[in-house]
Formats: sequence, structure tokens, C-alpha cells
Amino acid sequence: MIPQYKALFAFLIITIAATATFHWVMRNTGNRKPLNPEAVSKLRGRFAITCTLLLVAALALTLPHFPYPRGSEIPDKVVFVAAKQFAFGLSEAPIANDAQWEAASQGPAVRIPANRLVEFRVTSLDVNHGFGVYSPGGTLLAQTQAMPGYVNRLRLRLRNPGRYPVLCMELCGMEHHSMRGVFEVIPADKD
Amino acid sequence: MPPSTLAADAGTLRLRRNTMLWALTAMALFLVSTLLGLFLRLFQGNAFPAVEPVWFYSSLTLHAIIMVGAWFLGSMAGVHYLLARYVQPSSTASELAMGGSVAGVVLIAISTLLGKFGVGWYFLFPLPLYPNGVWLPWATAVFFAGLAILAVFWLIWVLDLLRAIARRYSLSVALGWHILRGAKEPEVPPLVLITTVSLVVVTAALVAAALVLLLFLLHWSGRARVDALLMKNLTFLFGHIIVNITLYLGVAILYEMLPAFAGRPWKTSKLVAIAWNAVLLLVLFAYLHHLYMDFAQPRWVQVAGQTASYFLSLPAAAVTIFGVLALIYRSGFRWTMASRLLVCGVLGWVIGGIAAVIDATVAVNSVFHNTLWVPAHFHTYYLMGVVLMVLAFFDHLSRELTRPDTDVRAAGWTLVLLLAGGYGFLAMFYYGGATSVPRRFATYPEETLQGVIQARVAAAFVVVLFGTLAVYLSRVAARCLRAFADCRNAS
Repeated sequence: MIPQYKALFAFLIITIAATATFHWVMRNTGNRKPLNPEAVSKLRGRFAITCTLLLVAALALTLPHFPYPRGSEIPDKVVFVAAKQFAFGLSEAPIANDAQWEAASQGPAVRIPANRLVEFRVTSLDVNHGFGVYSPGGTLLAQTQAMPGYVNRLRLRLRNPGRYPVLCMELCGMEHHSMRGVFEVIPADKD
Repeated sequence: MPPSTLAADAGTLRLRRNTMLWALTAMALFLVSTLLGLFLRLFQGNAFPAVEPVWFYSSLTLHAIIMVGAWFLGSMAGVHYLLARYVQPSSTASELAMGGSVAGVVLIAISTLLGKFGVGWYFLFPLPLYPNGVWLPWATAVFFAGLAILAVFWLIWVLDLLRAIARRYSLSVALGWHILRGAKEPEVPPLVLITTVSLVVVTAALVAAALVLLLFLLHWSGRARVDALLMKNLTFLFGHIIVNITLYLGVAILYEMLPAFAGRPWKTSKLVAIAWNAVLLLVLFAYLHHLYMDFAQPRWVQVAGQTASYFLSLPAAAVTIFGVLALIYRSGFRWTMASRLLVCGVLGWVIGGIAAVIDATVAVNSVFHNTLWVPAHFHTYYLMGVVLMVLAFFDHLSRELTRPDTDVRAAGWTLVLLLAGGYGFLAMFYYGGATSVPRRFATYPEETLQGVIQARVAAAFVVVLFGTLAVYLSRVAARCLRAFADCRNAS
């Protein structure tokens, strides 16, 4: 199951539980009776401890899955990405100016071997853009921002060969919705 | 003599008149902005193939600024009115804010609708300086002038409320620090505590906004090269806080209003003081979750962002939300339109908060950032959260000042349609986020064509929502107008 659906199901389960609790309490607001402060305090304490434990567990489980590069890993291939209104230029050589960006954005798609660790070095030549990598089936796989003056390094290991579209994930102007790029993942033995 | 003028001195009449004017302004802006929102979803549903995308982006910018501004001001007006029970805020500051807000919104409307300025409500640096021939430099200048006016006049109002609080309580007492040390006196109403926390944080946000504008100008004039990452941090410090604090101001109203319906007191206990002081600290760092995809940020900053965003939910859940449920449980709760809106607003806050915490997880944000999941969560705690809380205040006060007959059955149906329209519209955002549909796309590319159908379904729910709001708000507005006229005639 893709991570988006896992998150959606987690959201639905917690939301249904919260809504059911609200509904139950709202149905029991009549028949005025004094509450036992000690019982309320004890229940609140248990609720707070449960919430804290859940948050700590979620932190412990998710922090190791940061998408940021680890120093101990060495990428098998580097792809340079320069974003500019309104296209992504991808190249195996650094892109330092508009002419290189134009050649990279209009040239053939960069080819990447499957199952190899690839580092995308992403920057922008004008405004902020978002480098969003989609699967050939249209699922967002990963992203990083393309910022003027900075290089963000996104590392990916893609298993399935195919053409991977790149969409812009940060509002960048009037043609934001049509800004795109592409690269191709090829079987490792054809590299 | 009408109820709005009973036993009222000139100052009270002025306060009531101003509050009614704020209510009318916020509700009118809300309806206009909802219509703009309907236009946006219809546009994404390919309903206007002949219209240029420029109108989508400029309308998007105006929609968001109006929505954020209207409810920040609406909640400020509610807090101002209720605070007057304990302190003496200046009506002049509120009137100045009204004048400044009208001027600011008019300038922003001119820059977006006439100048085609469409950079999104948080105008991320350096996009406003890259018009690409779509908008002219005057539109950028008018937009920034409008924002500067808003920042200055809002800051005046915020500082005046803090002045009024400090005059009676001192800021350390208003923040409940004596309660943290074990003292029980002087008693501080939760409204005062939460408002003080909120306004201190808003002051920081407005200073950040002023810095952003200043740095933009320096860069624009060529006097300085501004760092894009610094600007992004400042922009989201301002943007996140102003939205977050609008919600907390709504919660301050909730703390003041709900006990009257439950017939039970809600006092500032040590736990409440701890919770809101924790909010004061954590909310300043929660904005960092907007920058998870800026890999250039130091790793420890990203850890701090996730930790702060996670634990910001704890005081809300364990103190306020648990407190609401404990307060109303077996209380003989008086259900009116206002009290229903309040409780439903808390539920909206909870649901939006759950989605926000999920998105504040770096590993999840990697596939949710700037997809429709983002507007899903903030529309939930805005539209189904703070908006309902502030509307509850307007509804209750306008009834109190005019004493109309209450049609309980009509109120029930209104609420059902509001919730159906609202959550139906939101469901399409959540589903869109889960199916990788990017946000702020005028039209969808072939990879995310599912967004077109989702936008059409969402638009149908917005029609239900808008129709219900138009009928309901026209009734509230009629009462506000009557109370406003009574107060003006009496003074």
C-alpha cells in the first residue's frame, strides 16, 4: 500500500474515533449531574499519558525515515536539476546558466538505472519551485524544493523502469500547472 | 427600548455598534471569498476552458487573503467585545483597524483583480518580483502597500488589547505565571490568558511580516541581496502564526461562552496555565513544518519542527478539548444554534488537527507537501473550526441584542446542511491529497486528471454550503443591522 493511503486510513480511523466520542458526549449532555472532579482528573491524566505515548512512539518510528541524505551513503549516479519558469532541466552535467538550462529541459530525457541510488541536485535559476517526482502511474513518490541560491539533494532508489514525470509543487507563476520535467528509469543491466 | 440599548452607557453602545459592524464585515467578506473558492474549484473542474489561468491565480490570492483576514478580524472583534467584561480596550483602536482593513483589502483587490497579481497569499520571495509580463510593477507595489497597511493597523489593535490587559493584570499575571508558581490569586479568566498568549505571538508574527516587506523592498531596490531561505522562514513564521492564532482567538471565545450554556465554570487552573504557556513556546517553532522539503535547512531544525508540531497538539487535546467534553457532559447543556456551532467548531478543530499532525510528520510530508492534503487540513480547522466558533459568537450576541424568536428546527437543518456541504467539500481535498493531486494548479495534467472529477464534486458541495450560508448569514446580518442601528440611534 502506498504511504498516502496508509496516512489516509490512519486519519480516518482516528477521526471516526474522535467523532464517535463527541457524538456520545453530545447525546449525554442532559440529566444534569455533578461530576466527580477526582474521576475527571484521573481520566484526563490517562488521556494525556496515552496521547503523549502515541506522539513519542510516532516520533521514534518516523524520525529514522527522514528523506534527507545521509553522509554514510554514496550515490551511484548524480543528476543535476535546474528549475526555471516554466520547465525543469535535468542533466548529467551541472547546469549553471539559461542556455544550459534550455538545452537540458528540451533535450532527451536523462536515463537512470533501476535499483541504484540516484542523487538529484536541485536548484532554481529564478523563483522557488517544487521538484515533485511522480511514478509513471501518477503517484507522488518524493519531492524537494528548488530554491534560488541553494542546492537541495534528493536521493531516490527507483525499482520500476519507465518514464517518470516531474511536476512543480510550489506556486511559481501563471504557468505553474504546466511546468514539468521527465526522466527515464531503465533496467540496471542496460546502463 | 430595544435590548441593545438597555442599561448601556455611551462606551458600551460604541462597543456593541463596532462589534456589529465587524460581524457584518466579516460575514460579507466570508461570502465573497466563498464565491471565489467556488470559482477556483469550478476552474479546476474545467468549467471555464476559455478563461486564462491568470484569473485562477489572482482569484486564489484574493480568496486566501480575504479568508485569513476576515476571520482574524472576526475573532479579534469577538475577543475585544468579551474582554471588555474585564478590561477596557480602546474602541478607537478597533475603528482604526476597521478603516485600515478596508483600505488594505481594497488595495489588494485592485492589485489582484485589476493588476492580475497572482502569487498566492504568502507571496513567497522572490516570485512577486518575477511578473513574466503577466502583471505590472504597480500591481506588486499596490499589493505590498495593502499588506503594509493591514500589518500596521492590525498591530495597533493587537498592541492596544495587550495594553488594556496589562493595565489591569500585568502581563505576567495575564499569562498565569503566578498560578504556575502555586498562587491562586488574582484570578485570571481563561479568556484573558489565551488572548494574551495569542496576542504576544501575533505581535511576533506581524513584526516578521514587516521584516519580510522591508527585505522585499531592499531586494527590489537593489540595495541588498536577500537570502531565499531566510525569507521563507520569516514568511511562514508570519503566515503560519496568523492562521494558527486566529484559531486560538476562537478558542478564547469558546472558553468564555461555553460555561454559560453548560452552567458550569471554566477557570484558569494550573493545568490550563501550563497548557497555554506551552502553546506560547511551541507555536513559535511549529511553522518549521512548512519547510520540511527545504533540505538545506539544518537537520536538527527539521527535528525541532516535527517535535514542536506534534507536542503543540497535546495541550489542545488534553486540556481544551478534553475540558470541553467534561464541561458539557451531563451538564444539562442548553443547545442553541450558537452552542451547537461552538461544539461543532471544536470537532472541526480536532479533525483538522489530526490531519495536521499527520502532515507534520517529515516522512509523510514528503508525499503530502503541497498536495491537496494541505488545504484539506487548514480548511477543516478554519471552515469547520474557528469560523463556526466566531459565527457562534455573532449569532449569540446578535440574538442577545435583539431578542428574536428562536426557530430550533430551522437551526437544526441549517447546521446539518452546513456540515454536509462543508465536510463534503473537504472530503474531496483529503481524497485529492491521498491520490497525489497537487494544490494550486489551475488545470490538472494527465498524471493527476482525477483532480478534475474531485473538483467538480467539491464544487457541488460548495454550492450547498454557500446556499446555506447565504440564508443563515442573512438572518444573522439582519439582526446585526438592527442592533447596529439601535445603538447608533441611541448614542
